[in-house]
Order: sequence, then C-alpha cells, then structure tokens
Amino acid sequence: MSHLIAGFPDGETSVAIADALVKGGASILEIQLAFSDPSADGPAIQTASTVALEKGYSTKQGLEIVKKIHDMHPDTPIYIMTYGSLAFTPGVENFVKMCKDAGVSACIIPDLPFDNDEGLTAACAKYGMENIPVAAPSMTQARLEEMASKGFKYIYAALRAGTTGSQTVIDQATLDFLDTVGKGGAKVLGGFGIRTGEQSKVLCKHVHAVVAGSVFVNIMLKDPKDTAGVEAKARELSGL
Amino acid sequence: MAKSLVESDNGFFDKFGGKYVAEIIRRPLDDLEEAFNKFIKDPEFLEELHVIQRDYIGRETPLYYAPTATELLGGAQIYIKLEGLANTGAHKINNAIGQCLLAKKMGKTRIIAETGAGQHGLATAAACAKLGLECIVYMGEVDVRRQQPNVATMELYGAKVVPVTSGSRTLKDAVNEAMRDWATNFATTHYVLGSALGPAPFPDIVRTFQSIIGEEVKRQAAERNIDIAAIVACVGGGSNSIGVFTPFIENPNVRLIGAEAGGVGPKLGENAARMVGNAAKVGIVQGYKSKFLVDDDGQSQPTRSISAGLDYMGIGPQLAALGECGRVEFTSILDKEALEAVNFFAKNEGILFALESSHAGAAAMKIAKEFPKDKAIIINMSGRGDKDIFITSPVFRPEKWKEFLAAELKRLENNEDIHDAEIMNK
Ligand SMILES: Cc1ncc(COP(=O)(O)O)c(C=O)c1O
Repeated sequence: MSHLIAGFPDGETSVAIADALVKGGASILEIQLAFSDPSADGPAIQTASTVALEKGYSTKQGLEIVKKIHDMHPDTPIYIMTYGSLAFTPGVENFVKMCKDAGVSACIIPDLPFDNDEGLTAACAKYGMENIPVAAPSMTQARLEEMASKGFKYIYAALRAGTTGSQTVIDQATLDFLDTVGKGGAKVLGGFGIRTGEQSKVLCKHVHAVVAGSVFVNIMLKDPKDTAGVEAKARELSGL
Repeated sequence: MAKSLVESDNGFFDKFGGKYVAEIIRRPLDDLEEAFNKFIKDPEFLEELHVIQRDYIGRETPLYYAPTATELLGGAQIYIKLEGLANTGAHKINNAIGQCLLAKKMGKTRIIAETGAGQHGLATAAACAKLGLECIVYMGEVDVRRQQPNVATMELYGAKVVPVTSGSRTLKDAVNEAMRDWATNFATTHYVLGSALGPAPFPDIVRTFQSIIGEEVKRQAAERNIDIAAIVACVGGGSNSIGVFTPFIENPNVRLIGAEAGGVGPKLGENAARMVGNAAKVGIVQGYKSKFLVDDDGQSQPTRSISAGLDYMGIGPQLAALGECGRVEFTSILDKEALEAVNFFAKNEGILFALESSHAGAAAMKIAKEFPKDKAIIINMSGRGDKDIFITSPVFRPEKWKEFLAAELKRLENNEDIHDAEIMNK
C-alpha cells in the first residue's frame, strides 16, 4: 500500500504520482486528504499537507483528485487517510458517503479511536466500506487485543512508537506486535518509516500489505517533478 | 448542575472533551491519567506542592480592592485577583509547577511544552530549572517574533526554545509539534500542556492545578465579607478562567463571565471568539471535542488578537460545555478595548494588566454599572503586562519607542556600553 497526498505538490502531479505508484507495483493506494493540523504525521507530511491546502485541495477538491485516480485505476483499491475533524465537521456519515462517491473503499482516521469513533465504523459498513483502525506498538496488550478482536477486516499497524517519517527497525518485538494485531483475523497493513526494499522484503512475510508513505513524499519534496523517482522507489519496495 | 460540568465523566464534560487521539499518543495519556489520579490523593505530593506554591510561586496572591476604578465605574465594587504577582508573572506557573512535580514523581527527566504568549513556556522553563528537569519549549515562529522578551527569559532559565515553522506558525502548530515529540519520547518525557484543553486527562489536570486561584478568592472573600456577584476572566484555552470559576460553578448567585478575544472585528479570521458570535463550530481538533474556529470542511482557520495568549482557535471542553448550558456567559473584547483597559488600570490603580487579562478588565468595566454598590465583581488578572512592552509601547508612545529601538540597535552594532553610546552625548 503506497501513500500520497491529494493535491501535493499540485493536483495534476498527485494524479501522476498515483500512476507512478501503481506502475511501480502498488496494490493499494492510501490517499491522504490534507488537514491543517496533522499531529499524527511527521514534518514531511505536514509540509506537504500545507502545500496541498495552499493550492486549494481541501475535502471536496481532494476527493475530485481521488475520483480521477479511481477512474484511471478502477481495480486498485483506494483507502482515504485523514483526520477526525474533516470527517466530523460535515457529519461522519456524509463524509463517508462523499468518499464512497469518489470511489474510496476504506477510511483510515487515526484520531477517531476504535472505541469512540463517532459512528465511523457503522457509516463505512452502511456504504460497503471498511474502517481501518491504526494500531501502535505502545498500546497496552489489553487495548491491542481489544482492537484486534473487534472484527475489523484490516488493521493498520504503525510500527514505530512515534509519528511518520523516520526509520523503522524490524525486530522480534515488531514481529510479536504484528502477530497480536492479526490475532482476531484482521489482515494487517504494516508500515511507518519503510525506506528500503530490504525492509519491505522482511516485513512482507508477516503482513497482508507493506505500507510506505513518507518515503515517497520526501522524494517529491526534494524535487516536485520526480515522479520517475517515485516509480523507481515503488518498484524497489514492491520487489517488481 | 450535572456532575460532568464540574469534572469530567470519563473524559467528557457533557458532550465535549474526550480522548480523540491516534493510538501512538494514547499510552502516555493513559499513563498520565493513572499517575495523576494517584498523586493528587497523595498527602506527601500535596504537601510538597503546597510548600512550592507558598515559597516559590508566592501564594496566596492578593485580592486587591480597586477604589478608584470602583468610583469611576460607578457600580459594583471592583476587586482584582493579582495572579500577575505570582512568580514568572502569570497564573501559568500554577499548572507548570503542578505538572512538572507530577512528571518528576513519574520518573520523567525531560519536559516539553508548547507556548503562545510565552507565559506558559516561561513558567515551565522556570519550573524545570527549579526542579532540575530538562526543558524544551515549542513556540510558533510568529510568536517567537512577537514575544521576544519571553524567549530571552526562557533561555535564561536554561530551556531550549524551538521555533515551529509548520502550518500557521502559532500556538496550535506548537501543540502539534509537542504532540509529535511526545509520541516518540514519552518513555522519558512529559508534555506539560499549558491550558485546560487537549485530550483527557489534560483538562481535568490543568483545572485541578489552577483551581487554587478560585479557592483563594473564595477564602479571601469570606474573610473580608465580600459579596461576590460576578467573576470575570479572560479565555484563551481557558485555564485561568476555569481555575477562578471552579469553586463557584455550583453557586448560582455568582455570575461567571468569560472574555474572549474580539480582535479587530466580528468576521472569521478577525478574532478568536469561539463562544460569542456564530463563527465557531463543534469540532474535533487536537485531541478533543469542543468549539473551534474551523471552516465547513473542518480545517482550522486563522485567528487574530493583539494578545498572543488568547489567539487560539479552540476553547477548553469544560468551558464550552459550561457556555452551551448558559452557566458561563461569554463576551468578546476588541483589541482597542483591551488596550484602553490596560491604560485605565495602570493610571488609576497602579496595576499593569497583561493584554490577555485586560480583556477581563475591559469586560468588567462594561458591566460594573449593572450591579449595586454593595456587590463585588472579581477580575482575574491572570498576568501582569511587563512582557507586553513591545506591543503597548508602539501604540501608546510610538515616536519615543522608535527612537529607543533605533538607538539600541546602533549601540549593539557598534558594541558600545550605554555610557558611551551616541544617544548619551547628544
Ligand atoms: C497572562 C495570560 N492570561 C491568559 C492566557 C490565556 O490562557 P488561558 O485561557 O489558558 O488562561 C495566557 C496565555 O498564554 C496568558 O499568558
């Protein structure tokens, strides 16, 4: 699963990035709707989100990009990642419906906790979508098991303790964490800080899909035209 | 009065509050909640806190009767709770000391804080210096510029001030940055949030440590037979207001009035009024549900106020709940009214309000006449105004200030002692 931000570095290029990611072997696209206060993301994604918002890509315009990408790649599932404010303010059900209409098949909203989600899981179910909660290694075993047993089809496992953007080490503790996340039968999407094909290769044996995000954002922050670099990185990570 | 308006019920004040955070930040919040609930009942902790409050903060702070203001305003007796006399110049120290002491008990060695006006950063830096803790303060780049004296003082206390360059580069961005740091470093680090907002348990913790303001007012009023009809406080995030209001929430005879930043006008972007007017919406931002200045999509909107400490798009969840049910009344004060109030109390009482606190002063000036002379209005002067000299001087005495700054710059550039500077030999 590969990540991009709708509207970063601009609308057209974000569509080209999606294209590059799919060509590079991405099987799922995680598209982030830019939010003014992305406190669960690191500086790269925060900076990119600010750019997208300055260019006018808030919810509606962001979802237009999503729709475009969906029309180009109808067989690649698109998961929306964003923050609770963008879902709650227009009304959670209304937000989910807007996503559905744009061709989205799941929502990842880390600050709507699974045990107090403002109706997100129910709204997703109503529209034939999934709510994908985000698990973190710092969760207590009890809370993690509670999340794992709730019947989610997918759980996103954030492998590092902190926010997106720095290197991840895949050690025994990480593998144990992934085991617990998948205990209740959820398919595990594992990521946060994946940088190299080597990491991806180790990780992919233990998860349903490897998630890579800020690695691509960083490429585009360095050179906003470098979609070829994005495609090459995607190839490296997907092992194509 | 519903119990959840006095303290949270599982993190919620009526429908506001909660712990709307990513799981990466959940554990430190849960650990903090557990530690707080334990230590706040621990007599040893409370005694240690009490001694620091008395000897270091300088409590209790005076409840000052303002005779000239009372006479000029021609209504209720005006009393001013002088929180500005607390060490470091504002009420923020009450919370900073409380949380830093708690962090120390929890075995944390590193403290992070966000700051807007710089008062909370300053208080935290001082608390860390006193308690022997490492201190990092995140501060929006815009605020670093407009509150330079506080930055300098924080550094004197040994804190590292990190300018935040993301987003709007103000208080809310400093909060985001502090949250990020905490998510990564919580094993060693405590995040001292500076107002009665953010995810649970912060609103309860901050209120608890700030309630000493209200408890003292209640005691001082009882000792001196002061018949309180209203208490007025400025509301940024809401820590000084909830602190002074708390012991009176269940007393229907006392009107509780919150003064928000009216900035330069009523339009979105011109102020920081969340409870007055209809610009704000119920939202979920920065970990809690409350009233926020966000657009129709839920993106936070720019705010504006002459006082950095009130320049924030959200309000603490308990105050939002108390406002919605009508227990706390809100009013908004324009920048120019706040400046007039600074002038009024300085000239007539010899008391220099911080620009934040002068919003409360201005609100009291407006309503004093509504009350008979045997009733009292308490103004919570949350801070003193020394720190605002770079904002008030350009307004009150622009020419002299310009001359001073130019001469100082020249002197610095020439590396001269003041006795030798050109300006001394004119
Ligand atoms: C002197 C003073 N008063 C009031 C405030 C506003 O904060 P709160 O509403 O949390 O009291 C600040 C914030 O920095 C402040 O410095």
